[in-house]
Amino acid sequence: MSKPTLYRGGKIASEGSSRLRTADVVVDKGIITQLGAGLRAPRGSDVIDCGGKLLMPAMFDVHVHLREPGREDKETIRSGSEAAINGGVTGIVAMPNTDPAIDNGGLVQSVMDIAAEKARIPVFTSGCITRRRAGEELAAIAEMKEKGALIITDDGSPVCDPLVLRRAMEYAREFGLILASHCEVMELSGNGAMNEGRVSYQLGIPGIPACSEEICLDRDIRLAQHTRAHVHIQHVTTARGMETIRRFKKEGVKVTCEVSPHHLIFNEEDIRDYDSSYKMNPPLRTKDDNKRLLKGLIDGVFDVIATDHAPHTEFEKNQDFGSAPFGITGLETAVISLFHHFIRSGKFGWDLLVKRYSAEPRRLMGLPEAKIAKGEKAEFLVFDPHGTTRFTKQYMRSKSSNTPFLDQELEGAIDRVVLGNKVLVDRMKRARGK
Amino acid sequence: MTKDKELKSQVLLSERDIATKVRRLAFEILEHSGDEQLFFVGIHKRGVILAERVRDILKKEKQEIPLGTLDITLYRDDLDNLGTNPAIESSDIPFEVDGAHIVLFDDVLFTGRTIRAAIGNLIDYGRPSKIELAVLIDRGNRELPIHADYCGHEIKTTKQEYIRVRFREMDDEEGIYLLK
Amino acid sequence: MEPRKDLLDIESLSSEEIEFLLKTAGPFKDLFEKSVKKVPTLRGKSVLTLFYEPSTRTRSSFEIAAKRLSADVTNFSVAASSVVKGESVLDTVDTLQAMKVDYIIVRHPASGIPNLIAKHANASVVNAGDGFHAHPTQALLDAFTLREVFPKSARKRVLIVGDILHSRVARSTSTLFRKLGVEVGVLGPGGLIPDGKPKEFKVFRSFDEAFEWKPDLIYLLRIQLERQKAQFFPSLHEYHQVYGVTNERFARVEKEGIWIMHPGPVNRGVELVDNVMRYERCLINQQVENGIATRMAVLYWLKPQTSSREAEVEV
Repeated sequence: MSKPTLYRGGKIASEGSSRLRTADVVVDKGIITQLGAGLRAPRGSDVIDCGGKLLMPAMFDVHVHLREPGREDKETIRSGSEAAINGGVTGIVAMPNTDPAIDNGGLVQSVMDIAAEKARIPVFTSGCITRRRAGEELAAIAEMKEKGALIITDDGSPVCDPLVLRRAMEYAREFGLILASHCEVMELSGNGAMNEGRVSYQLGIPGIPACSEEICLDRDIRLAQHTRAHVHIQHVTTARGMETIRRFKKEGVKVTCEVSPHHLIFNEEDIRDYDSSYKMNPPLRTKDDNKRLLKGLIDGVFDVIATDHAPHTEFEKNQDFGSAPFGITGLETAVISLFHHFIRSGKFGWDLLVKRYSAEPRRLMGLPEAKIAKGEKAEFLVFDPHGTTRFTKQYMRSKSSNTPFLDQELEGAIDRVVLGNKVLVDRMKRARGK
Repeated sequence: MTKDKELKSQVLLSERDIATKVRRLAFEILEHSGDEQLFFVGIHKRGVILAERVRDILKKEKQEIPLGTLDITLYRDDLDNLGTNPAIESSDIPFEVDGAHIVLFDDVLFTGRTIRAAIGNLIDYGRPSKIELAVLIDRGNRELPIHADYCGHEIKTTKQEYIRVRFREMDDEEGIYLLK
Repeated sequence: MEPRKDLLDIESLSSEEIEFLLKTAGPFKDLFEKSVKKVPTLRGKSVLTLFYEPSTRTRSSFEIAAKRLSADVTNFSVAASSVVKGESVLDTVDTLQAMKVDYIIVRHPASGIPNLIAKHANASVVNAGDGFHAHPTQALLDAFTLREVFPKSARKRVLIVGDILHSRVARSTSTLFRKLGVEVGVLGPGGLIPDGKPKEFKVFRSFDEAFEWKPDLIYLLRIQLERQKAQFFPSLHEYHQVYGVTNERFARVEKEGIWIMHPGPVNRGVELVDNVMRYERCLINQQVENGIATRMAVLYWLKPQTSSREAEVEV
């Protein structure tokens, strides 16, 4: 891989501008050495024709479930990171709700070690807020931070006891750790399996009311306000919850939040015929929430897009809707589905995608952004807006295929993913013989 | 109906022919039964009309003949071959079947399967002393050992041909046609 | 009318299909007067009842209906202990596929299980009640019974009383009634009247208020006291006082000639007082009889994809 590569004629997307600028890019030894119009190919270089295609900084996902240790039948650090790469994502933060839960420095270290050995991209991990995610005693927060945990969270469950949460915030604050919150009042959610409303009534599926999420979200932000800690609200699904965040942000509370592609694209109406690939927690809400969350994303209420990639086996998902586990995969479908549903029709621009799914997530985690600029490390993807992608089991690299996009064909294709001097994905069709 | 249009239609019996045939059918039944009490059963839908016409002719000649109706759909042996099952009419047998001398009426006798189904159906109501069969047209091509005791008109047909019966009571016209 | 393999809910039925079923149930009911109540329609077909929830009534009703159509009936008993997981349901479906069953009558405590089975089986699937979702044959027999009393059901008023939230009967029956033009009102403890209910429902606060609406028929739902800590109402005694047909309310029911329905089994002294059972306009027993005729109509109407003749044609 010592040959330089010239990416010719692609349009460059960046977070700063909705305008795409056409430029040639030369990558040599993993570094972007030249950027500009009409560049001449360095001697002996590979030339990749990017006409009609886009080059954009590779993505970063702050919310994924890799299932290792414990449920390697669903996903491993290796397969999950390969899924990320396949979706144009070159950095991920794993959630700690594994088995055992990642609640001490040793487990953080072991995840980092496996990642270093098996993953072709940086894989980070979070640590638990409480031991065994039981919501009672604080986990070894400082120790985990020292071993490399980027954030702490009991994701999958809320910290039910507000006093425990308060103590965790006060403690984590001193280490500069973000505390990420899965917001849900367990008693209100009960045995609910989808949004409570007209559709849940029709289908006879116990509902999870919107207020279950909103009450907890409100509580967590107020505690953050009180403790001056940084709280990150995970997977916001209701417009009212989003408005709460907007209000507290204005008041200067250190609160950030994320939205998932599926909560922007799908809603409760899609749960027809009890298809469990639409079952996740928090659940798909209403069509109106779709619209308002999208508007919130454009307004900047949401700091980041994150997939909450949650693999499950076909065996488990192939149960009745109520018994099937919560969660859908997302890493491989995020960029393409957001293009298909929003960018293509001009609902938002490439700059928003780059900002919310590449730059801001890295900044939030205290990491350097991926930039397409002279002197920067090459960390980008080549996207073909005229191509199509069918999300077959063959295409996907995740061990699981519990996504509503399974076997669907969407507009857009990720042709190439570049990280440093490695080409991680290469689906470019190149003219031969020249 | 589009199927009919593609076929060539030939009048087999006119309205007047039908009247003559029905009358003869009625008197044959009268001749055979004498003073015996008869019970008529018509097979839905045109068998019922035929039975009613014969009964009306015999009104002056004989004591009142009770008339029942039979929908044999539930007794058909070819439901699996149909896309959707046909609607069912109520069967109505307003007399005691046990020991009754029954004349069964249908418009056209073809394979004999309808009659088999009808006999099976009747027997579920009780044990008649005798069942006879009266039809307006016998077009041959039997698939079961069944024959008509009274027959208005016999005609040789192939299995592909189709006999269309039109009765004024339900069709706004009268006539019997052979469609090829 | 397109052939149908399964009956899973009421929503998906067209008005043509509903009319067909209600009309067809009539001749089937007439059969019950014959000395031989059986017809050979489903001779050689096999019907399997797959009940994951105990219900002697519904199961017997289906069994009688199938037998009167001359089908062979097998009761597949699923021990309550080995229940729950959908996966084992699919395993069971594989077994049934191998047995070449033509009709599967399924009842399950989880909503959507009949849909899951229908997707994987060639046999016709009849939903005999799934979770809080649907109980379509109950709805059809209720509608058939309603039509017997009111041949023109449009704009009649039916008051449904009780647990609207958890009742699959309420869901299916009210849906069908509304498709027939019936006006539906509901009355019950606040938490049991879900916000997700159809907007057309008139909601009443009390029996007195509901009586003022002049219902033609009151449909009482079977009520059960939740064993969880967060109850929907304090006690069965209080339920009876507020939402039951007490002696006092029964006097008004009688005076105004209001008809009564209940899906059974009845909790005497809770949903209604004993006297109601002897009331001439109490349709509870008629519902049971009509259940058999209606289920015969359903079995007659459905077309399983198990026919060997079709297979021959394909080869």
